[in-house]
Amino acid sequence: MSVAARVAWLTDALVAPATEDVSPSGLAQVQSDLVRDLQALGAELPEGERLEMDAFKVLLAHRHPDRCMSSGDTFVASPRLCRRAVGVAAVNRCVRRLSGAPGVAVAEVLAEGLEDAAVATGTGAVRAPWWAEWYAGLPSGGRAVVRAEAITWATQLLSAVDWPRISKPVIGGRQDRWQCPGAAPVVLKGRAEVRSLVGRRPALLVVATGRCQADWRVELGYPGLVAALGRDAQAVPCRVVGVWPQSGQVRVLHLDTAALRATASAVVAAVATWVDSRIEVERAAFGQGPGSEPVAVDGVPA
Amino acid sequence: MRLGARAGVLERDGLLRRLRGDGAARPAVDPGLAGGLRDWLEDGLVESVAALPGDGEVVRVNKESLNQVLVCEAHLVASRRAPRVGTVELARGSMVDALFRQWVTTGVIDDPWVDALAAFDVEGDRDGVVAFVAGLSPALRGRLMTEVADHAANIVDRWPVPSPAWLPRTQERLEVPLCGGRVVLAGVVDLMLGSPAQDRASVCLVELKSGARRLEHRGDLHFYALLEALRSGAPPFRIATYYSGTGELDAEPVGEDTLVSALSRSLDGAIRLCRVAAGTEPARHPNPLCAWCAGLPGCAPGQRRVGTDVPLASAPRAETDPGSA
Repeated sequence: MSVAARVAWLTDALVAPATEDVSPSGLAQVQSDLVRDLQALGAELPEGERLEMDAFKVLLAHRHPDRCMSSGDTFVASPRLCRRAVGVAAVNRCVRRLSGAPGVAVAEVLAEGLEDAAVATGTGAVRAPWWAEWYAGLPSGGRAVVRAEAITWATQLLSAVDWPRISKPVIGGRQDRWQCPGAAPVVLKGRAEVRSLVGRRPALLVVATGRCQADWRVELGYPGLVAALGRDAQAVPCRVVGVWPQSGQVRVLHLDTAALRATASAVVAAVATWVDSRIEVERAAFGQGPGSEPVAVDGVPA
Repeated sequence: MRLGARAGVLERDGLLRRLRGDGAARPAVDPGLAGGLRDWLEDGLVESVAALPGDGEVVRVNKESLNQVLVCEAHLVASRRAPRVGTVELARGSMVDALFRQWVTTGVIDDPWVDALAAFDVEGDRDGVVAFVAGLSPALRGRLMTEVADHAANIVDRWPVPSPAWLPRTQERLEVPLCGGRVVLAGVVDLMLGSPAQDRASVCLVELKSGARRLEHRGDLHFYALLEALRSGAPPFRIATYYSGTGELDAEPVGEDTLVSALSRSLDGAIRLCRVAAGTEPARHPNPLCAWCAGLPGCAPGQRRVGTDVPLASAPRAETDPGSA
């Protein structure tokens, strides 16, 4: 398949009419089961703790559950985290013909971020993007890395889609956020790089890293599920198209009730892993972990 | 010090002409080629993958592992077991790579030493370059600073800053999973130019080398051409190695013969890497690198070739390691 054919195929997949419907009762059942399971898990969280899940955390729990204990919530900015935020803004500029090429667009986005950061610091009159202050503090060698990573990322997304065929694409946009009802301190956050309307339902495009793995249905289903929760069945995304630019792979997940249910089960399993890890971390902090107390030969605490 | 564009327009034009192929027609993309190459690789790997342990461990095939395993399987195993040792040449290579990326992206290099170290600081210094250079004696560090500055000056003098319209992207990662992901061909290309191919090949790959010309550099480049063909469905139309120390540019077109020979070499290496991953006793092939092999003390064929059981790797590697680029 030539590149042009590959781009055409991906675009066809994104704009094709929806073939699967999600019934209001089916969606309500998925959501109700999810709320029940998450409330039960949330109740096990150490007191005062709150669990915010995103696609990275869901996949980490599935692929490397052992790493959840050592993975904190502290956010550390890096070029790889920043490239997506800058990259989608740059692609948006290119698609709307405000910039001629990703290299130019990225430079403009970064320059605007610097200006916003300078104004925000002094006056609070504007809200700078999250990366702007961090980027402003980097020396030129560090800034060059950020810019280079964002250009490469933006070029991959810009080259993956036949943009004129996408009607009013939302590139980047706000992330979806769903708070589990009741007292459960569990929040699901999802995001897609591009949204386009197919009839009344959105279709999502997700840009993934590395190569497509066996759990790609979870990787694509998660942003679809979060976008569906709390919404009317007619507004549930009809599909999620995933592209892995580094490997050239593309997958399409049609979101019907079964796909939503399977994704919800995977999310519950991931949340359970994270809750367990939080409990273990707390036990270790208070010296209640395995082996933290002296034990006599018969197994009774000495 | 701030390095900016200055004289050397002819050199820059010449370099661009060679990257563009001097106006030669770009080959048509064969839509069935990539699928055929992939089938060929997967068919050749079926038995090797079947013999892998069932733990799901992925066999990664990159330019380093390919070069090592094709020289000697035992050498590869010994290299993996030995602690990674920094060398001045490796540090220089990493720093010049960072500066090349900065130049291509921004068209400005302020202070080569400071800029390169800043790049590692923000990117995460996986190779430990910052700690390595901090531990160097003042004399060696001074020598390295001079070398890095020379390479940076050469890049600034001889490399044009690519037009954004050519879609230059740096350090682009390529990953090609085969056989259900049990084998992954992987690489990071220093510079890619050109929009993705439609009917005709349109991408040019450039690898930067700060060391001397070596035979395996062509093999590395051909491997990357194969990866790009498999990933995007179209091979690059041109591949090039740029030597930042001398300004030499080795550029060549990519024909089907290039891809087939790269495939043959990659398949051979991948089969050997699968053998090693399956726990098979690594084959020993005495070769000119035996004297530097960390496994020499336990390798009779290697000792016979070298005439000693003491690897040169135990000497200060910064001055002796020939394996850096």
